[in-house]
Amino acid sequence: MNSPIESPRSQNRISDKPRFSAILLIYVREMRDQLRDRRTLFTIALLPIMLYPLVGMLLLQIAQFTREHSTTVCLVGTENLVSVPPLLDGEAFSAKYSDEASNLKLLVDGSADLSTEEETRQETERWVREGTFDVVVIFPSGFRDPELRRTSKAAAIQVLYNVASDESLIAHTRITAILSAWRVDWVSESLAAAGIDIRKLEPFQLNAIDLAPEQTRETAFWSKMLPFIMLVWAMTGAFYPAIDLVAGEKERGTLETLLCSPALRSEIVWGKLGAVTSFSMLTALLNAGSMLVTSTLVFKQIDMGGGAIGPPPLAPMLWLLVALVPLSGLFSALALAVAAMARSSKEGQYYLMPLMMITLPLVLLPMLPGMNLTAGTSLIPVTGMFLLVRTLVEGQYTDALLHLPMVFGVTMGCLWLAVTWAKRQFESEAVLFGGQEQWELGMWVRHLWRDRQTVATPVQAYACGAIILVALFFGKLAVTTVPSGLAGLTKMILAPQLGMILMPALLMSLMLTTSVRKSLRIRMPHWITLPMAVLLGITLHPMYLMLAEWITYTYPISEDAMRAMQPFTEQIQNAPWISLIFLMAFIPSVCEELAFRGFIFAGLIRQRGRMRAVIITAIMFGISHGVLQQSIAATFMGLLLGWISLRTGSVLPGMLIHFTINTLTVSLDRIATSGWRGSELFITTSQAGPAYQPLWVVTSIGIAITFLIYFAVLRPRIDESQVDLLDIDPHLPDPVARRPLAQ
Amino acid sequence: MIHVQHLTKTYDDLSRGCFVAVDRVSFSVGRGEIFGLLGPNGAGKTTVLRILSTVLSPTSGQASVAGFDVAADPSSVRRNIGFVSNNTAIYDRMTAWELVGYFGRLHGMSRDRLTERLEILFDQLRMNEFRDLPGGKMSTGMKQKVSIARAMVHDPPVLIFDEATLGLDVLVARNLLGVIRSLRDTGKCLIFSTHIMSEVERLCDRIAIMHQGRILDTGTLTELRERHNEDEFEELFFGLLSRHEKESEQSWKEEIDFNSKTSPPGGRGL
Repeated sequence: MNSPIESPRSQNRISDKPRFSAILLIYVREMRDQLRDRRTLFTIALLPIMLYPLVGMLLLQIAQFTREHSTTVCLVGTENLVSVPPLLDGEAFSAKYSDEASNLKLLVDGSADLSTEEETRQETERWVREGTFDVVVIFPSGFRDPELRRTSKAAAIQVLYNVASDESLIAHTRITAILSAWRVDWVSESLAAAGIDIRKLEPFQLNAIDLAPEQTRETAFWSKMLPFIMLVWAMTGAFYPAIDLVAGEKERGTLETLLCSPALRSEIVWGKLGAVTSFSMLTALLNAGSMLVTSTLVFKQIDMGGGAIGPPPLAPMLWLLVALVPLSGLFSALALAVAAMARSSKEGQYYLMPLMMITLPLVLLPMLPGMNLTAGTSLIPVTGMFLLVRTLVEGQYTDALLHLPMVFGVTMGCLWLAVTWAKRQFESEAVLFGGQEQWELGMWVRHLWRDRQTVATPVQAYACGAIILVALFFGKLAVTTVPSGLAGLTKMILAPQLGMILMPALLMSLMLTTSVRKSLRIRMPHWITLPMAVLLGITLHPMYLMLAEWITYTYPISEDAMRAMQPFTEQIQNAPWISLIFLMAFIPSVCEELAFRGFIFAGLIRQRGRMRAVIITAIMFGISHGVLQQSIAATFMGLLLGWISLRTGSVLPGMLIHFTINTLTVSLDRIATSGWRGSELFITTSQAGPAYQPLWVVTSIGIAITFLIYFAVLRPRIDESQVDLLDIDPHLPDPVARRPLAQ
Repeated sequence: MIHVQHLTKTYDDLSRGCFVAVDRVSFSVGRGEIFGLLGPNGAGKTTVLRILSTVLSPTSGQASVAGFDVAADPSSVRRNIGFVSNNTAIYDRMTAWELVGYFGRLHGMSRDRLTERLEILFDQLRMNEFRDLPGGKMSTGMKQKVSIARAMVHDPPVLIFDEATLGLDVLVARNLLGVIRSLRDTGKCLIFSTHIMSEVERLCDRIAIMHQGRILDTGTLTELRERHNEDEFEELFFGLLSRHEKESEQSWKEEIDFNSKTSPPGGRGL
């Protein structure tokens, strides 16, 4: 195979192992430095300790205020209450309907000087609107007549209230309750008078019993609330020290002092990461502790919501602590990497918001109703961790144990990625020493044109991916009608594929790079990889179907979505085979591969970004599919395609694999029903549709693995990740000799 | 001790495109020698010294310090140098004693050796009266002394001073030059960059004059004077600079003419 070109520097570089003693030294210094800072101490220790008691005090005040506020009610036309069961007892409601503690201020009959009913109406309406009374109850003169009050609207009791006022609303509820109770008494009295046994009205008793143990009921609320609160604190707790330890040091000039000391970059990152993680955890812990103490005291004082919410129990707090360690680490690493990009503390603050916005949904997700720990949710970073904690808190240990490896794996994976990212930031000169340049649109456009390179820069690659995804999102919103006929189907597939996926990549490659061919990675790999790609596609297809099946099993497609997709599926079944292959296999494989494994991949792989290129293009490729189930399958597929494309250095093998798999997906049932005898060897047809023979599935997996091993030993003809150094010939003793130097 | 050959560093710059900050610079410095890098602001002195201190890595060319290549074995290089720069500040919330001790321990010095060394350094640089003062409360001169002590704590064979006298008053600057001279006498290899000519005249054994990323001329003061037939050092310096500017302008024009005749306008590729 071809030997890759590697820079002589990277070959010779002696790798140092980080020393634990140095990491500890840096950690201790950073901790001491932060503890000597008054601002840090304030936000991390003092604020939480003071904040919750203050908020608690405020809550108590408010509770007292609502309790002391009395409801004022005006009754008009009490003289019309004749020959009815007693509602009033002198100047108050009779004790049966209202107890002493209820704080009801009653003004009986304020209408002595109002002559007509119309005037009374206007006057009382004004009282309620202006808040003189919270509610006014009018007994019209027609109420005297037993027949009239039963039938006529004009003789009905009127309760005037104002929805815009909370007090009025409360008063209305109370008055309605009193009047209803009065009516029930009245009914039973009449029934008794008519000789009917009242007890017959209630043939049975109803007693609802909540079987959830005390523990679950108590924790139901807290296991949803606490993660959210703690995580937000862990995040803020991580961010401020991170800004100070990286962006702040950059600003004060102490970072360079550290960088020219014998401490390795990795030692600096680990030391600082340790300090930031400690502060993140400390913040979360102090906040949780202070909240626990305060809320226990406050909830004892006021009875909120009828005792549904008690003080947080100790058990979930302890489980949360266990989860806090990796999550604090994760946030700290993210914060450290983001803070490294900032040149000053002020700039660092600007980056806090986007990071929060990205992580908050993951924290909010576990709070949604119906979110439980399943194989699917355990794969979501952060969310899975909290669902696991909740499961532990609720005492479902077997469930928790079952998903523990998955959650642990995902969390560790994320942590590793975040730490790697942070380390990369510390190795980047542009990040550490980037100057504060004036930015100007005209200058920037000129720079884009003048300094075009053969392939896209990483930033351009990210931009291209973002443009494609945003365009697809709005494109999807624009399509409201289901296409009819082949023409409609063609339009529905071609528009996004050509216009929203291929077009941005092609335009950017034309305008921002000097070589369309190189920037889209259209180069001939070793010829044997092409037939192998087709065979790999064929042998991977059974596995792909299994994956898709597993995904629909784990994340079932909703009935609504199925129904919405029904016409589309029918269109596909009725379309001619050849046009279907063109639309569903050829077009997507060309457009998507050129955009994702072509332009974007070429940009992301630069600057030693092999992993970055494979993972990020896979995620973008996945998101571009729109439907969750398809997105997951496509992400896995994207990882494989990206890896193949990395190994071959070209977009073409991936295109062939993509084309083969898509072709097989749309043609499976046609092959099964084609009557071709050989098809029975591979495909069985049952009621659920065509499927692969189990024997072929096993064989195909074996063959696919063999092919993959072959690809694993492949080396691309040029090493794209070192593309920035390509113009330096490693064989020349003095690389400068070949370099054109203009200045 | 220091060998620099064809060292080049380029940056991507928004307004200038691919900007060559250091352009094929070569020089060597031996033991017991003070080498002066003289040049106006933006000449590329700091970039050269940052590459030597392994904070930046070179785009091409080679540089070795005390026998170690800066690109291949940066941590060995860092163990053998002391770097004092305008950009290497000290921590605000650490006392002088703590700071110097911290860097000593990063160098892996044992506690006993470190204490001994600290006492010597604090005596030598007359820093005992502010040994417990936090960095935030120090004057510029005190800070500079702490920086020098920090760079010297592990007794490195090579010391690099980048614009070390910038912002110091005459008294402190004079003191610093004295320290540097005494270091030379103990056999250290020193690089001293500045844009102040009198310092170079008084201090340096050999001088390189840098401008726009290139070394225009190098040699001892006498050599330079003889070669350019100019006794006044300041005149010599400005003469060199203006001659270089004229030449580079000329070559620019030629290059533009050449380019417009042979190749279409556009990018330069990688």
